[in-house]
Amino acid sequence: MSSTDQAKGSRAFYSNVRSSLQETEKVNRRDMLGLFMPMIRDAAVNEFGGFEELRRHVKNIKQHSLDNLYHYLSQFVEEAKSNGNHVHFAQDSSEMNSIVLDICQQHDARRVIKGKSMVTEETHLLPHLQSAGLEVVETDLGEYIIQQAGESPSHIVGPALHKSVDEIRELFMRKHQLGERELEGPAEMVAEARTVLREHFLKADVGIIGSNALIAESGYSMLVTNEGNGDLCANLPKVLIICTTMDRVVPRANDAMALLRLLVRSATGQPVTCYTSFYSGPRQGEDTDGPIETHIVLLDNKRSDILDSDYREMLQCIRCAACLNHCPIYIGAGGHAYGSVYMGPMGSVLTPLLTSLEESNALPNACTACGRCAEVCPASIPLPDLLRDLRHDETRAKLSPTRWRVGMKIHAWLLSHPWLYHKLTALGIPALGWLGRKKGSFKSLVLANGWTDERDFPAPQGRTFMQQYQSQRDDNEDAG
Amino acid sequence: MITKTQDSAQSDLLGKLRRVGGNASAEQIGAELNRLGQTPVPLLPAQELCEAFLINVLKNQGTVACAPDRSEAVKCVAKYLHERFHTRKIVAGNDPRLAAMPWRDGGVLPRFGAAEQEFSSPPTPASLSYARLGVAETGSIVTFTGKSNPAANNLLVEDHLVLLDVADLVANLDDAWQRINAAMEEEGRPRGINFISGPSSTGDIDAQLVMGAHGPRAWHVILMGDVPDEALDNARSFIEQRLNQL
Ligand code: SF4
Repeated sequence: MSSTDQAKGSRAFYSNVRSSLQETEKVNRRDMLGLFMPMIRDAAVNEFGGFEELRRHVKNIKQHSLDNLYHYLSQFVEEAKSNGNHVHFAQDSSEMNSIVLDICQQHDARRVIKGKSMVTEETHLLPHLQSAGLEVVETDLGEYIIQQAGESPSHIVGPALHKSVDEIRELFMRKHQLGERELEGPAEMVAEARTVLREHFLKADVGIIGSNALIAESGYSMLVTNEGNGDLCANLPKVLIICTTMDRVVPRANDAMALLRLLVRSATGQPVTCYTSFYSGPRQGEDTDGPIETHIVLLDNKRSDILDSDYREMLQCIRCAACLNHCPIYIGAGGHAYGSVYMGPMGSVLTPLLTSLEESNALPNACTACGRCAEVCPASIPLPDLLRDLRHDETRAKLSPTRWRVGMKIHAWLLSHPWLYHKLTALGIPALGWLGRKKGSFKSLVLANGWTDERDFPAPQGRTFMQQYQSQRDDNEDAG
Repeated sequence: MITKTQDSAQSDLLGKLRRVGGNASAEQIGAELNRLGQTPVPLLPAQELCEAFLINVLKNQGTVACAPDRSEAVKCVAKYLHERFHTRKIVAGNDPRLAAMPWRDGGVLPRFGAAEQEFSSPPTPASLSYARLGVAETGSIVTFTGKSNPAANNLLVEDHLVLLDVADLVANLDDAWQRINAAMEEEGRPRGINFISGPSSTGDIDAQLVMGAHGPRAWHVILMGDVPDEALDNARSFIEQRLNQL
């Protein structure tokens, strides 16, 4: 099953997971990713020296920026306007899409090239522009591949990492009308995409990019890429549109540098990307190239609500994908299973906040509480805590199944009466042990079929932990 | 459909942000920011700055050469062009420092301006930039956009060559910004500031690293001036050792 057939919307998470686990080749690819990405991140972090100190510093900077967002956003807007940009505010996705389309139409644009931008994925900008008759080409190689395949990103940094070399070869053979050719390995495929995309770059009327940081003191926007595609989008067409959000604002260039040091190491294990660029606005004075007109579109889409909520810390996210690479659920299920633009731990927090908990209540449950995401998150976001809080909200809003809620209530009541809990387990566990004494395990068990559907449940052996603990303590006391 | 004017959309959002927080004065905010202190910087792979820079350029998949003076630098360019393309031609930005290079010393034939941007014409093989700064921390070079650095020269050529004066080498990204801010005080804000740290690359197909995704396939940095004798050899053996460890 391809991601395109996968049920859309995060509600279908459970059925999506079931299907994605059947795709053995993709499961293996993800396992490799889950091994390889943490390794290169760890190497980069160790090489840095005081990475923890850097992490703390960036967390303080991000929190300070969010605490004073009114001040810094106002400053950024003022500086950006004085640099010659048009600055737009979009309350929601449809406003952002309309603003961008309007700009394109004002310039009679026909061809648009796009750099990688999660914000425009969030607003589904591409289909909006295409339905108005514009030719829009994604230029980040990963994004280009999934655009050609008609899929959505499976990872926020490597959108096409779910596709094998064979799949991409077959896709290029079908989509690029270039006749007989071998197209052996990745190098040849990259070369082919380079030639095809070069033509788009040179003919485009409008370039659209995202931003990794907005610098309040100077109105510059930072762009981080390895391919240089974003820079081509920012430099060649006559019109540049930067689609971004207010939580990207940092006070100074040095703060953007601190963030860059964390972001790149956490995302790809490099100390820096090949291209780190800062753009202030349109061409000026003696400039011989660059866009004649530049626009910055700032999307809110509930971020101001998140800022005013207990989930504010989620706005510290710098979109590095380390939490995805370290998450057993993401590695197991794959990005498409989430049915949303953002996936993995960060997506499981962000999606319910950007859509609604009703629509996405499965996602905060996609967590084993292992805590790896919080350990590696460069922005120090307590992801497992936020996921737990969302599950709490889910229970309070009665969105989880009644059986589950009643079960949890009984469980909680029992735990708050330890003597009764111990009594019941002291009775129940031996009984279960006795029932399973022959086979040593259960193939199915009432109220636990979620477990026994996948594997046998071992029959308890001997006494409970508490019984053993108690008797050891008694022995020790006697000995003492 | 945009229902509101942009002015009211802006004041709606800023009003909301103001209500959420944001009562502190600019002075208070500035003081608080200063209290957060300096950014921790990473360890350099070598104590000597040139050596650290050269190591990081090599780590970034770049190639390097050192030249004691401008005449030798031109010869380095000539050697590179001959080995890679059997040519003497190169495109260079309209930078007075490039115009003043002793081109004849190496028999290099520069064309000043921008690299080829017509799709129907073959791409320009090589371009040359004169960097404003080099950053040892990341093995990066910094250029400002403008007529001295047409974007096409950084992004649309097969190979990108860069000259860097040792005097313009700084230890880390923060030092680089100190210099950039000082330059902006004098010259105003450039349209773009580019930190380049290697040839264009991608890992988007099967997570395998391939050079020349959209931009240059190769990146060659020539460090000019008083480079310690052993810096380049040390840098090369550092990289060799690293490769052996893998
Ligand atoms: S939540 Fe943290 S780890 Fe995950 S993408 Fe955001 S910054 Fe990276």
